[in-house]
Amino acid sequence: MGTTLTSAFKLIFSGSDMLTEIVLTTLKMAFSSSLLALLLGVPIGLLIAISNFKGKDAVVMLLRTFMGFPPVVAGIVIYVLFSGTGPFGKLGLIYSVELMIIAQVVLITPIVAGMTESSASAICQRFLDTAKGLKLGYGKVLALTVIECRYQLIAVYLFAFARAMSEVGAVQIVGGNILHKTRVMTTTIALNYNTGEFSYAVALGVVLMLIVVAVNLIASLLQKGTNK
Amino acid sequence: MPPIVERRGKMKKTLSIALILALLVICVTAFTACTGNDELTILFEQDDDLKNTYSVIAVNPDAPFDTTNEVNINKEGADAFINWLSLKSTRELIASFGVESHGEKLFYLQEDATVKDVEIPQATSDTKEIALSTTTSVNDSGLMAFILPAFEKTYGYKVNVASAGTGAAIKAAEMGNADLILVHSKASEEAFVNAGFARKVAGFSAERISFMYNYFVLVGPKADPANVEQSANIKEAFAAIADAKLTFISRGDKSGTHNAEVKLWDKELGITNDVSALPEEIKDWYISAGQGMGACLNMAAEKQGYILSDKATFLTYKKNLAK
Repeated sequence: MGTTLTSAFKLIFSGSDMLTEIVLTTLKMAFSSSLLALLLGVPIGLLIAISNFKGKDAVVMLLRTFMGFPPVVAGIVIYVLFSGTGPFGKLGLIYSVELMIIAQVVLITPIVAGMTESSASAICQRFLDTAKGLKLGYGKVLALTVIECRYQLIAVYLFAFARAMSEVGAVQIVGGNILHKTRVMTTTIALNYNTGEFSYAVALGVVLMLIVVAVNLIASLLQKGTNK
Repeated sequence: MPPIVERRGKMKKTLSIALILALLVICVTAFTACTGNDELTILFEQDDDLKNTYSVIAVNPDAPFDTTNEVNINKEGADAFINWLSLKSTRELIASFGVESHGEKLFYLQEDATVKDVEIPQATSDTKEIALSTTTSVNDSGLMAFILPAFEKTYGYKVNVASAGTGAAIKAAEMGNADLILVHSKASEEAFVNAGFARKVAGFSAERISFMYNYFVLVGPKADPANVEQSANIKEAFAAIADAKLTFISRGDKSGTHNAEVKLWDKELGITNDVSALPEEIKDWYISAGQGMGACLNMAAEKQGYILSDKATFLTYKKNLAK
């Protein structure tokens, strides 16, 4: 155990080009996809939370079902759609970081929307009554809800980011784990398991955890700032 | 707003919880990584039935893809790479792979392969990116990383290597995601050619260009309870494992290795590469893992079972484990 850990830390501090490249690709993918999912999912979640319409329960249930959509299934569906023979084959996105981001957005957006919906519904009920009393328009209510729920939204974002960082099933399929192109930390770890390079895998695992811890720290500082 | 001291205290608490969690995960990972892996060793090799031939096949842009769209295939790029593989200097490079890193040759040159002496065109912006769909044995053993820089640096191409088992690698090409394939399973390759997915490259006699080979090896625990080391040939060795009902790990993924393995069993056992048709009575010892070579080697080490592997992947795997 000692030797594996030692070589893991040696790798981290060696500043290896390959490690840097993989970490950068991972960060690009995780930040882009989690931010896109946030931009898409938060308005959806808030809209559902602040409006009352027929069939709302069914929509919420559908959303919660999609929160549990298996990544591998999403990966295969997107692979088929974007394959050379698929309807979107012309775009030439197969085995690219962009397609990995698309897959992640498909997976994470329902989670963001669902979590936003449940926290907004729970927190903002009283506030919504006031807004209704003041006869505020949809846009204003939406903007106010975002401000009101910012503490919860940071938590939602953290979850989305962590999910994007740690997902492997879908990105392996649509990205193909191509060296210098679509290789990210989780797919490298899976590959290292295949080639028996366990210390490299552990090193990457440590880096991955450190990144998540760092993002968490920034977020908790932001949450303190929201003064809730 | 809570007093500043209280806020600091909360911060510290959050920080320490985060750190403890991180450490916990690291320890668990490191611990899992270090358990198991009792040594496996090569018990039987160099039998003609174990010869493992690798072929490269260019994908036909007008193949009967299952679509009405036009599929983009980089024909020029695939030609350049295939021609480059048949150069004398490239063949020497392939033959030298492993001598320095593993102490022995990992791939041998097919003697009757076409050797060419042609000019390879420089890449243009249209032909630069070459999509190669290949098997894990070629990629994970380090062969591609060893030979590709020479090709990419000299001619300006970029080869995007996607690796999976032969079954999946061929499937990727049939879905229009590869310009050429490099695989090792004759029957699957012939089916690919016969279905019209292959294209003949100028100067080669057939679509299927076999250019190198190595050997599969029977790997197992050092103690060798089936005593396969004493077998006269590989089929006898496999029969000994089946007779004693000793754990055998099968790839079970229609890869070249899996297809080669199922041919080595006594026909009466009823083992084919159709895993849904495996007979009930062998399930106690014949484990169909459905994973890549390395994952299956991990499993074999864990269960002290026998396994068929290509030699290059096994030696690379062993070398990495010892690091």
